[in-house]
Amino acid sequence: MEKLSINSKIGIILFLLPIIILFTAFFIYPIGFLLVTSFYKWDGLSAPTLVGIKNYLTLFNDPVFRLSIKNNVGWLLAGGFIQVPLAITVAIFLARKPKGWEFLRTVYYFPNVISVVAISIMWMAIYNSGYGALNGLLKLVGLANLQRNWLGDLHLTYPAVVLYGVFYIGYFMIIILAEISSIPKQYYEVACIDGASRLQQEFYITLPLIRNSICTCMIIAMVYGLRQFEQTYIMTNGGPANKTMVMVLYLFKKMHSFRYGLASASGIILLIMGVFVIVGVRKLFKVEKYQM
Amino acid sequence: MIKQRLLNLIVMTICFVLVMGFLGLGQNNAAAEGKEIIINFPSIWVGKDSKAKVMDELIAKFNEDNKESIKVVVEEIADYDAYEEKMRTSIAAGSVPDIFIAKAGSKIEPFFKSGKLMDLTSYMNEGWKDRFVGNILNTATYNDKILAIPYEFAITPVLYNEKLLKDVGYDSFPETYDEFFVMCDKLKANGIIPLSLMTSDNAWTAMLWYSQLLHAFGGPDIYEKGFDDPAFVEAARVLKKMFEYTTSDAVGANAAVAAGHFLSGRTVMLINGPWFIGRIKSEGSGEFYTDVAVANAPAYIGEKGEKGGEVGFVQALICAGSQKDKDREAAVVKFLKYLTEPDNVKRLSIDSGALFVIKTEMGEGDEMERLQKQMVELSNNAPYVVPHFNMSVNQEVATEFPQALSSMILGEKSPEQFIETLKEINAR
Repeated sequence: MEKLSINSKIGIILFLLPIIILFTAFFIYPIGFLLVTSFYKWDGLSAPTLVGIKNYLTLFNDPVFRLSIKNNVGWLLAGGFIQVPLAITVAIFLARKPKGWEFLRTVYYFPNVISVVAISIMWMAIYNSGYGALNGLLKLVGLANLQRNWLGDLHLTYPAVVLYGVFYIGYFMIIILAEISSIPKQYYEVACIDGASRLQQEFYITLPLIRNSICTCMIIAMVYGLRQFEQTYIMTNGGPANKTMVMVLYLFKKMHSFRYGLASASGIILLIMGVFVIVGVRKLFKVEKYQM
Repeated sequence: MIKQRLLNLIVMTICFVLVMGFLGLGQNNAAAEGKEIIINFPSIWVGKDSKAKVMDELIAKFNEDNKESIKVVVEEIADYDAYEEKMRTSIAAGSVPDIFIAKAGSKIEPFFKSGKLMDLTSYMNEGWKDRFVGNILNTATYNDKILAIPYEFAITPVLYNEKLLKDVGYDSFPETYDEFFVMCDKLKANGIIPLSLMTSDNAWTAMLWYSQLLHAFGGPDIYEKGFDDPAFVEAARVLKKMFEYTTSDAVGANAAVAAGHFLSGRTVMLINGPWFIGRIKSEGSGEFYTDVAVANAPAYIGEKGEKGGEVGFVQALICAGSQKDKDREAAVVKFLKYLTEPDNVKRLSIDSGALFVIKTEMGEGDEMERLQKQMVELSNNAPYVVPHFNMSVNQEVATEFPQALSSMILGEKSPEQFIETLKEINAR
């Protein structure tokens, strides 16, 4: 490797300096702050008191926090193993450019330009037990006995909130569609001459070549599942009986109760889980390191 | 070449920093020279809030009267949760707004403890305190210092649809809970849903009913007795029963849903404060407003609570951040005194229907709104006024109340376990 001159080194440092400063200010410092405050009892206003690992012990002794971890795992699994595979399936279908594919692409992507708040409120109305469309539909098709208070049921509310979200696949579908369109047509022509069926072509050509995009989508979907907040906050606020509680909402509620130390500790646990998810998915897809 | 460019870059950076520094100094000097003082006032009394219109006019008038010396700039934040969060983070970060609004009770305590609020005691002792009713300044006093201004007051009686009650043969609202549940059964039998209840967010309407039940069972000093008092379990048991008389979406419903049912005439009763009067007038369907009346929550004969006992509280306190600059402090105090002038408060009260803790006198031409008048009468005739549950317990209990409540309503917990849960949270 060629040795760099002092001027080149200064140049590199100068180029990197802005991002280092920004990264330190907006990532390193907040994480450090979070870590430090997680060892304190602090109401956010007055002087904090050092309590060691007590906040972490309190969290793991709290059944609501343990449930929120479980719920977050459910969210990330739904994101990674239902939402992304659905997006792959639709993207592969649309990549073949069937009739009306552009319209379908727009339809699938459209919810991404609407705020989560608006979509959540719309789904609250759909799920409403009194005037909601879901119960209305069930009545219409003669299944009135299946009508429920979907957002006020101990067993159904969590799946109801998670499930509607996984059908919003537009964002991942666009990423995968863009990747598929970059695959040279010749690969498919050759496979066709060799007698490969459509399904074989997708399995042996498309999927291996879009592996990196799938990995990216899975990381995004699973991390989103881990930091899930808006939908839950708007639709159920963690209820009923904490059944839909997630870690960020738990953290938010602790802040609301002036327990910033506990909120920081749950933030650190969330961060660690996020690192595990990213490393785990990358290992799963055996993502190679770029060589300089 | 690179060294030369690097040198240029460093020189330019130093120049930029110096210029910005001088600009900053210029601003400080402007303040010191007695130029216009800008008072920052993040407010929730904006947008659709019933006080927004008159408050806006009052601030405009103040700015006009103090042209070129003081200007109050309102930062509009309509959502209270977002507002509260912003105030808390601003104060934690050391940038306390000049003036801001806060809720009384356990929520204000950390602000008082922070030491970042202006001490208004000396100003109050100059005669300002005479404007306030009774010993209401106690709600804003911490360690013998008056750290805020109690402003908006509320009682939360029962708002009910008189017409729907008449339809099932009732000319007046029941005075005891036994009669109340007979009435609920009758309404239910006639296909009318009696109550608007909710468990989401802060479970507001359910929490207010719980507060009414608590003093009905345990008397006005119920919160001093603690969770071991049997009144807490008894009240929980009755509250659970109330959910048999509400809408099917009550578990999981928020305030908008509960209010929507009442305003559209789907339910007969909603418990809420005077700020809701404006919505009854503007959002109620058809002749709804004329059908609505106000009543005391019922009482339990033979229990510790008295008939007519009210759940009431200081709804809003106005706080001011402590100031280093004496001129600025004087400007803030001047504005606060202006807001508490009886004539200004009277205008706010008449227009919005809200109640205030500042003494006002109604003149001949001052027409008080019908429902507001009924609420004032109930408040004046009340043998006692107790704060609501959320204000009287620690913040974590208040936050967890809705979840524990829905757990009880859905049968996961008994009333005893519900109280045990609250006790556990309280002990943390």
